[in-house]
Amino acid sequence: MKDSLYLAWQYLRHNRAKTLLLVLSLAVFIGLPLVMRAMSEVMQESLMARAESTPLLLGKKGSSLDLVIEALYFQPKGVEPLSEAEVTEIDATGLARGIPLRTGLMARGFPLVGTSLGYFPFRHLALAHGRSLTMMGECVLGADVAASLSLGPGDALLTSPSTLFNLAGVYPLKLHIVGTLQPTYGPDDRAVFVDIRTAWVAEGLGHGHQDLSQAGPDVVLARKDGGVTANAKLVQYNEITQDNLDSFHFHGEPSTYPVSAVIAVPDNPKAGTLLRGRFVDDPTRQLLRPAGVVEGLNQQIFRFERILQIVVWTVGLATAVMFVLVMVLSWRLRAEELRTMTRLGCSRWKAGQIMGAEIVLMIGASVALAALLGLLMAQYGETALQNLILRGS
Amino acid sequence: MISLRDVRFGYPRSRFSLRIPELSIPVAARAAAIGPSGSGKTTLLNLVSAIERPQAGEIETAGVRVDRLSVSARRSFRITTIGFVFQDFLLLDYLDVLGNILYPYRLHPDLKLDQAARDRARELASNLGIAAMLERPPNELSQGERQRVAIARALVTAPKLVLADEPTGNLDPTAKQQALDLLFDQCAALSMTLLMVTHDYGLLDRFDQVVDLSTFDAGTT
Repeated sequence: MKDSLYLAWQYLRHNRAKTLLLVLSLAVFIGLPLVMRAMSEVMQESLMARAESTPLLLGKKGSSLDLVIEALYFQPKGVEPLSEAEVTEIDATGLARGIPLRTGLMARGFPLVGTSLGYFPFRHLALAHGRSLTMMGECVLGADVAASLSLGPGDALLTSPSTLFNLAGVYPLKLHIVGTLQPTYGPDDRAVFVDIRTAWVAEGLGHGHQDLSQAGPDVVLARKDGGVTANAKLVQYNEITQDNLDSFHFHGEPSTYPVSAVIAVPDNPKAGTLLRGRFVDDPTRQLLRPAGVVEGLNQQIFRFERILQIVVWTVGLATAVMFVLVMVLSWRLRAEELRTMTRLGCSRWKAGQIMGAEIVLMIGASVALAALLGLLMAQYGETALQNLILRGS
Repeated sequence: MISLRDVRFGYPRSRFSLRIPELSIPVAARAAAIGPSGSGKTTLLNLVSAIERPQAGEIETAGVRVDRLSVSARRSFRITTIGFVFQDFLLLDYLDVLGNILYPYRLHPDLKLDQAARDRARELASNLGIAAMLERPPNELSQGERQRVAIARALVTAPKLVLADEPTGNLDPTAKQQALDLLFDQCAALSMTLLMVTHDYGLLDRFDQVVDLSTFDAGTT
C-alpha cells in the first residue's frame, strides 16, 4: 500500500492544478452541507437559548420579530420606543419586575445598551475585571468588545455620533470603562452597557454644561424670570466626571423618556400568565414571549436551509459526476501507462490499488480541507451567520 | 534458457497466427529477432515473457514452463525474471529518473525496495552515464538519455532475461551504437540473456544469434 500511495502522491503532485481543482470541488461538496447544517443547528440553539432565558418582553405594537431582535440581540431595527413610565407600570403590577433596555446607539461599532443594574444578574453576567456601573458616564464592556478594542477598566470609549453632518446635533459622549464582563458567547459579549440615563445623555436627552448662575456676561445673553439665556460660548460637557456630574440634567418629564423595550421578569409562571393577559387587548403595546417569536424565525431558517440544501446537493451531485468523469478520462489518457504496468508484471489488484490510492488521497485531502473549513466556520461563521440572519430578517 | 517447441498462437478476433516448431536461445546469449512487419516479432516477446499464452506447444523461459502458469503467476514471473526495454521507453513524467528506474519495485510485493535496490539503481545510473540526472524528470532529458533510463529500469531488478522491443528505433546512428554498447555491457556484466527485436540489419553482426521470424509460419490465414 505504501508504494501505491507513493505513486499516487507523485502523480497528483505532478498534476497539481487538476488535483487542486478536484480537491477544492470535493471539499466544497463534502464540507458545505455539513458545515451549513452544523452552523445552523448551533445558531438556532443559541438564538433559542437567548430567547428562552427572556420570559417576557414588552414593546410597542409592530413587528414582534424586530422587537425581539433589537431587545435580545441588540441589532438596530428602529423599533418605536415605549416610555420610562411603562417600566414603572410593570413594576407596579406586582406581578413582575421590569428591566429597561435602550438600544439603537453605537460605540466604536458595537451596540450601546442602556439598562438598569438588574440586567446583569438577570443575564448571569459576571465581571471579569473592574467593577459594575455606579454613576452616569460609566460603561461596562462585553468580552468581545474588550478583546477586539483592547480596552479595559481605566480606558475610555466614545459613542458613535448619530448625526455626523449636523453641527447642532449630539456630540459623542466619552464613556469611562469601569469593568469588562466574562464571556457568555452570546450578544452580551458584543455590547457596551451603560446606565439607561447615560444612554439618554448619549442621545442628547440630557446634558451638562457650565453653571450659568456663576457665568459672566461674556456667556449670558439675558437673565429673565429666573431663566438664563446663554450664547454659544457656553461650555457643553461631552464627558461625565465627578466634578461635572451635578451639572448634568434632563429637561422635561423623565417618565416620558424613551425605552426601546422592557424585559418583564415575572415572579412565577402564574404571574407571567396574568401579566400577559393584561396586555392582550392593549392597542399600542405588545407583551410577547420571545421564545415563540424565535421559534417562528427558526422555522423560517429551517425552510430556507432545506432549499439551500437541495441546491447544495444538486451542485454536489454535479461535482461528483464531474469527479468521476475526470478520473475516467484521466485513466483513459493513461492507458499506455496501465499497459506498461501490466507488461512489467503489475497485478490488476495493484493497478486498482494505485488508482484507488489517488482517489483516497484526493478524498482525504478534501475531507481535511472540509474539516478546516468547518473549524473556521465554527470559529467565525456562527456569529457572521447570526448577524446576517438577524440583520436581514 | 529460452526454448519454444511446437508453439501455435493466434490473437482472438484476429486472423494473425504464428507457428514456431522449435526455437532455443542459450543462457547469456545476445539474440536479435528480425522479420518484416506483421511477422510476429513482438508476439514472440509476448510469448516468451508470458504476456500471451500459446494455444499449443511448450514455452520455457529461464527454466520455467510459462505456458502452464496462471495469470497472477505469469505477472509475478515477469516482474521478477524479465526486464523490458520498450521502443518508446514508456517512462513516467511524474517520477524523476531515480523513481523511474526503481518503478518495478513499486509494482510488485515480491520485489523489495530496500537500500540494496537503491544502491543498485545508482550504480546502474552511474554505469549508464545518467547519475547526474537522477532527480530530473524524464521530459527534460534527450532521447538518448531517456533510452538509458529505460535500460536502467530493465536491469535494476537483476533479471535473468532482458527483452527489448526496437529500443534503438528512435535514435540516431551514433546514439544507437552507444545504447547497444551499454545494453550489451550491462547484460554481459550480469550474465543476462538478451532478446531484442530490431529492424536494423546493420546491427545484426553484433548479436550471437539472429532469430528470423520470416522463416517461421507466420501471417494471416
